[in-house]
Amino acid sequence: MKQRNLFAALLAATLCAAPLSGAYADKRHAAADTVKVTGEIIDSWCYLTEIMYPLGTAHHQCAVWCAAGGIPVGILSDDGTPYILLSFQGNGQSVADPALLDLQTHHVVLEGKAFERDGMHYLVADRLVEDHGIVNMTDEDYGIQPFGE
Amino acid sequence: MKAIIAILTLVLSAAWTAGALAAESWGLPEEEKTRFEAKVVDALCELTGDCPDRCGGGKRQLGLLTGEGELILPLKNVVPFAGATVELLEFCGKQVTADGLFSTNRGIKVFALQFVREAPDGKWQRANRFAGQWAEANGVDAKSKTTQQWFRNDPAVMKVIERDGKLGTGK
Repeated sequence: MKQRNLFAALLAATLCAAPLSGAYADKRHAAADTVKVTGEIIDSWCYLTEIMYPLGTAHHQCAVWCAAGGIPVGILSDDGTPYILLSFQGNGQSVADPALLDLQTHHVVLEGKAFERDGMHYLVADRLVEDHGIVNMTDEDYGIQPFGE
Repeated sequence: MKAIIAILTLVLSAAWTAGALAAESWGLPEEEKTRFEAKVVDALCELTGDCPDRCGGGKRQLGLLTGEGELILPLKNVVPFAGATVELLEFCGKQVTADGLFSTNRGIKVFALQFVREAPDGKWQRANRFAGQWAEANGVDAKSKTTQQWFRNDPAVMKVIERDGKLGTGK
């Protein structure tokens, strides 16, 4: 009887655990398609929290500060989806990457692999396809964020 | 009587310590103070299987992977304009208790790290070591105004702003 109870308990534990581990395994190392994302290079913290006006020339200096400080750099696609960049031009680097400091606020086309995990979009950017420079002139309306200088 | 006073003192100091280490409000959208346990992981490794030693040695964004398999990417520490990688790197691959703020805006939940310790009972650290490391790397006093305003004095920032201007357009 005790052996039967033990077997039932083990079976129940296995059945409960299987969907959880399977769901996690599905999320981890998920296959991703190669995509092209067109949009503005942004500072993810200021954009996602909206603690200040976060786009274009008005926010350029702040975006450079945040990128240098290691806050994740993102790209806000023209369709409104923000992606966190986890690698740029295949370098596997995403903290204070000098190449991304130079690219802050630029409107670009990036090619890479896109992932979605727990509500956040990520882009592993293999290639800078086009760099249109800074095209979003917001300083006349918003000044210089956040301190006005 | 002495025993009661000793116990009371212990309880009060424990409460004070816990209070002092609790997350502070920053007035963020849909802000939620939180404390949870998670494993410190290299976010790129977690998503792609590309996993260098030591979670990339500080060059990669670090995530917090909960027991339920949720990947939380901390965007911020408590130093102005600085992120959380420097705060979490020493815990690469370890379980930590993270204390800070969730904020949900534009339909996306983000996390700001304010305190961290190795789980279950490591020493709490305020997520501000970025300032000390920046000061050391730049040969200045960690408590100086130069460090407080690190973002205006950082050589990489100064190079970009001097070249492109504050608006990025060369003006």
